[in-house]
Amino acid sequence: MALAMLVIAGACKKKSETAANLNAANKVAVRRVNLYYETAQMLLAPEPRNVALPESAAAAIPVVLRELVKGPAAPTSLRLFPADTVVRGAYLLPEGTVVVDLGGKTLTDGWGTGSHQELMAVYSVVQSVTANFPDAKRVRFVVNGTPAETLAGHVSLSKSLGPLSYLVDPRAR
Amino acid sequence: MKRLLSLGALALLTLASIVLAQTSGQATLRTPTGSFPFTYTEQSGQLYVSAGDVVSGLGGTIAPDANGFKVTIGNATAAFGPDSRYGVVREDLIEMPVPPIAIEGKPFVPWQFFQGFLSKAASQDVIWDAATRTLTVRAATRDAVGVTVSLANVQGISKIVLTLSAPAEYGIVKEPQAYVVRFRTPVRAPFGEQVYEDPHVARITFAGSDLRIHLTAPEVAGDAYQLENPPRIVLDFRKGAAAAPGTLQPTPVQKPQELPGIRTIVIDPGHGGREVGAVGPGGLMEKDLTLTIARKLANALASKLGTRVILTREDDSVVSLDQRTALANQYKADLFLSVHLNAAVVKDAKGSETYFLSLEASDELARKAAENENAASGHQSSDLDLILWDLAQQSYLGESSRFAQAIQEELNSATAVANRGVKQAPFKVLVGATMPAALVEVGFISNPEEEAKLQTDEFQSLMVEAISRAVQRYKTDYETRIGIIQPAPPAATATAPPAATGTAPAAPAKPNPPAPGTPQTRTER
Repeated sequence: MALAMLVIAGACKKKSETAANLNAANKVAVRRVNLYYETAQMLLAPEPRNVALPESAAAAIPVVLRELVKGPAAPTSLRLFPADTVVRGAYLLPEGTVVVDLGGKTLTDGWGTGSHQELMAVYSVVQSVTANFPDAKRVRFVVNGTPAETLAGHVSLSKSLGPLSYLVDPRAR
Repeated sequence: MKRLLSLGALALLTLASIVLAQTSGQATLRTPTGSFPFTYTEQSGQLYVSAGDVVSGLGGTIAPDANGFKVTIGNATAAFGPDSRYGVVREDLIEMPVPPIAIEGKPFVPWQFFQGFLSKAASQDVIWDAATRTLTVRAATRDAVGVTVSLANVQGISKIVLTLSAPAEYGIVKEPQAYVVRFRTPVRAPFGEQVYEDPHVARITFAGSDLRIHLTAPEVAGDAYQLENPPRIVLDFRKGAAAAPGTLQPTPVQKPQELPGIRTIVIDPGHGGREVGAVGPGGLMEKDLTLTIARKLANALASKLGTRVILTREDDSVVSLDQRTALANQYKADLFLSVHLNAAVVKDAKGSETYFLSLEASDELARKAAENENAASGHQSSDLDLILWDLAQQSYLGESSRFAQAIQEELNSATAVANRGVKQAPFKVLVGATMPAALVEVGFISNPEEEAKLQTDEFQSLMVEAISRAVQRYKTDYETRIGIIQPAPPAATATAPPAATGTAPAAPAKPNPPAPGTPQTRTER
C-alpha cells in the first residue's frame, strides 16, 4: 500500500514537473488582459483579468477569447454571447487579420436577437483582440469553420472588422 | 525577435506535419509562361505543394512574417499562417481544407491555397491533375458564364433572378410542372440542387446546360423577361392558368422613362420565417411586429405620398438579406428602409435608433481601385468590380445620412421614446443597396414595457405617422435640391426654416453620376 502511494506520488510529481517544463518551454506566464463587456451604459468597457498566456500572440488570442465568452466577473457587466458559444479557434495571420472561428448550438441553429446585442457581441471580440494584441488589427469571423453572413441577421461578417469606437465607453478609448 | 517568431511559426508548422501516411515527389507546374518542377507531398489524401517552388514558378516571392508567410505574385499579396486553414488575400479569405505544414523547415500549403489566391486576385484557374501530377495555372475560362440565382416572393409573385456574368444565349421550355432555362452558352452552375420554402417554386436544379425550376403545382404560371447591365433573366411565377408546354419567349424589358425624384420606396420588414429575430419577454416576435408595422407604413406612404411602395416580404417567409436589397435595386427604388425591433442584455434598454451603412477604409478602397484600374488590361477583374461597387455605395451615404436623420428626428418628436440617435454600422441588409438606405430600430422588444407599448395600435400608428412624415420631409427636401420642387418664397413675417438658412450651396441632388463603367450602370437607374 505504502509502495503504491509512493509510486502515485512519484508519478504526480513527475507530471507536475512535465507541465511546468512545458509552460516554461512555451513561455506561458500570467498576464493582465482587458476583456470588453457591455455595461449598464450600453457601451463596451474593459474588465481586467489575469490569464495564463503563451508569449506568442498567435497562441494567446484563442485563450483570451475563451476567457471572454465565459462572461464577465463584475456584476455590473453583462454576458453578450449565448452561454453555449464556443471559440473553436482563432488564428493571427500576417498583416494583422485574426480569423475567429465561433461555434455552439445557438450560433449554429440561428441566434435570435436584436441589432444592438449583436453589434456589442461582435465588437466585444474585435475590441478584446485589437486592444490586447498590437499585431492584431482586424477580425474576420467564421462560424463552424465556414464563412458566415451574420451571427443574428444584422452585422455583416463578409469582411474583416476593425474597432468601432462609438461602441466603447469614452473613458476606455 | 522577428526571426525568432518566424522560427516559431515554422516550429508550429512542423508540429502540424506529423502525419504518418505520406508520399512525396516531384510534380509539374504548368503556367502560361512555361513548365516548372515542384516538390509535393500527399498526406491522408491531401496534396500539399511546396509554397516556395510554386511561387517561384509563378514569378513571385515568399517571405516569412511574424505570424506566418507572405506571398506576392504580380501586384497581389496573400498570407497564410501556421495552424490555420484560412489565408487572406486583400479583404477575402482563402479557405483551405487543412492548415499548411512544414517539411524540413519549408512551408507546404494545400494546393487549394493557390486556387483561392489566384482566382480571387488574378482571375486565374488552378487545376490539379492527379494522373499526370500536373498543377495547371491558366486564365479563368472566359467562355463559361457564371450564374447566380436568387428567389424572393414579392406581393404574391415568386420572382427568380438569374444574374449572368456575361450575356448568354438561352431558351425557355415549359414542362408540365417545371420551366427549363436551356443555355446554349456554357455556364458555371452555382449548385446542383437548391430547395426553397416558397409557395410556387419547390426547387431549382442544374444538370448540364439546363436550369430546371420545379414548381409546387401544375397550375403555377410563369412569365419571363430579360434585363441588361448586368445581364439578368427574370422569371415571375404566380397561381393562374398554366401555359401549355412548349417554349416561352422572354421579352426584353423596355426601360421605363426615368422620372427624377422619389417615386418608388421599398420597405423591408426585418427577419421572417424561421428567422424570428429578437423575442420579447412576453413572447412577441420581432418578425411579426416588423411585418405589421411595414404593412401599415406601406399603406400610409402609398396613400399620402402617392409613391409606389413595395414590401420585401408580405407574409411570414424567409427572404435572404441579399435578396432584400437586390429587390430594391431591381425595382430601381429611390429609397430603402428596413424596419426592425431592437434587443439588448441591458434589461431597461429603451428608445429608437436609426442606422445607415458604414463602409470602412474608403481611402484604401480607392487606392486599390486605382491600382487595379492601372493593372487591368482589357477587362475588369471581379475584385475591381467589387471595389467599384463599394465605391458606388459610398456615394449614397450622404443621402442615407439625411434620410436616417429625418426618421430619427420625427420619431423623437412624435413618440417621445428615448432618442438613441443616428448611427453607422456594417449591417448586411444595407450592403449593396444602390439608393439611399436606412435601418430603423423602432424600440426595444427586450424591454417588457416597450414590448407592451409596441403591441398597441395607438403606438404603432404614432410610429407609422412619424416615419411617413420623415419620408415626406426627405422627399420634399431632396426634390427641392434637385429642382423638381421650387422652394417656397420666404414669407415676410415667417421665421426662416432652419435647414434653408445656411449659405452652403445645395448638396448634389442625387449621388454624383457614376463614372463610365462603374457598377451603377448595372442598376439602370
